Amino acid sequence: MSDDTQLPVSPFAARQQVLRERLHLLISMLHPALRVDVERAFAERGKLLFQSPNDSSDTDAGNPPGSWPLLTMLVAQHFSPGIDTTLAASVAIATECFVCALDLLDDVEDEDRTAVIGELGAARALNVSTTLLALAQRAILSLTLLHIDAQLILRLLDTLQESTLVATAGQHRDLLAERREASDLTREECVEIAAAKAGAIMRLACLSGAICAGATEAERAEFAEIGELLGIAHQLDNDSHDLYYLLQSVDTSSGMPAEGSAKTDLARGKKTLPVVLASSMSTPLQERRELSDGEKQEYRRALDEGIMTTWGISLLYRERAYDLLRAISLRSPLAPELSLLLGFK
Amino acid sequence: MEERVIQDFVHRVTTDEVLRKELVSDPDGVIMREGFSPRVARVVLRLTPHLTIHGSIGAPGCWWNRC
Repeated sequence: MSDDTQLPVSPFAARQQVLRERLHLLISMLHPALRVDVERAFAERGKLLFQSPNDSSDTDAGNPPGSWPLLTMLVAQHFSPGIDTTLAASVAIATECFVCALDLLDDVEDEDRTAVIGELGAARALNVSTTLLALAQRAILSLTLLHIDAQLILRLLDTLQESTLVATAGQHRDLLAERREASDLTREECVEIAAAKAGAIMRLACLSGAICAGATEAERAEFAEIGELLGIAHQLDNDSHDLYYLLQSVDTSSGMPAEGSAKTDLARGKKTLPVVLASSMSTPLQERRELSDGEKQEYRRALDEGIMTTWGISLLYRERAYDLLRAISLRSPLAPELSLLLGFK
Repeated sequence: MEERVIQDFVHRVTTDEVLRKELVSDPDGVIMREGFSPRVARVVLRLTPHLTIHGSIGAPGCWWNRC
């Protein structure tokens, strides 16, 4: 019996397939016991091996599986449409390994109760993260087999190392900020931390694609900036939505978020931008002292305003990136897939 | 600085009911009067229904695609 139901074909499907094949080749060298856990990490939502339960991931809200390596690959193909697919895919897989490694570290450091941490536990997740950082370098070093110029390989490795150092410095500042009062932090400092954390990651995704495709220095700088702006937008978008949804689960009797949320940022005292903005207007939530009904209402209003402002600033950074993309597309039109991935019209 | 402009505007709309009503009835007029840059104006237009009607922010991840 035939099934006439036709699922929509993703505009990213062919590239995702190339990337998955490259990823499987890369991890085939791992010991089977480790490979299973590495594959599990890549099966998280948004990652390259993620499979929607109904096998129609393109109808899901959010980004397509493997959106980070897709970004690297599409940027490379923007500059060099005929680029060797193995070259572009190898560099893109390095991006995927890097992002996945940092995501695992972030989950462990923030004590987030995500599905992958629940299954692997913190110790194995940390070991998988270490493996992924090594695999990111291995993916780039594999370019020697393609007889790629050594200078290009060194430049790609240097970019990866630099991004690692910037992102880990940002994460460290973020962790140290947990010990500070929200009222001690400023909007500028929160954006700086977002730029170092998420900005550095998306910057790498764009920049490495431009480098491997032979873009000029000016072109590389342009795409690096776009990546950083979109990374900041991404982080602030997450911060506003995480808090927004957390507040939806507020236990009205205590005025505090319910226990059991996967994201524990607020409970840990994370000084995300909406919390910092709210603290400048009201008593900080982190004090966890008994609040009067009036204080609760005032405080909730301040948080709502902080969330809305943070979302607005996130949109502002996205618009800044789009202004750059508009200028680029006047000189050289963007591929529809790249525009679609970035939500750029 | 554009960040400050957005922060101040959200605060004013949140605390000033007259401005909120005006933003519902004539968003273009408010944006024109405020003298926003084109980029800030695009952000404010995107925020307006959430500031004035929904009381909630837009869908997460909307910045990346399917927006």
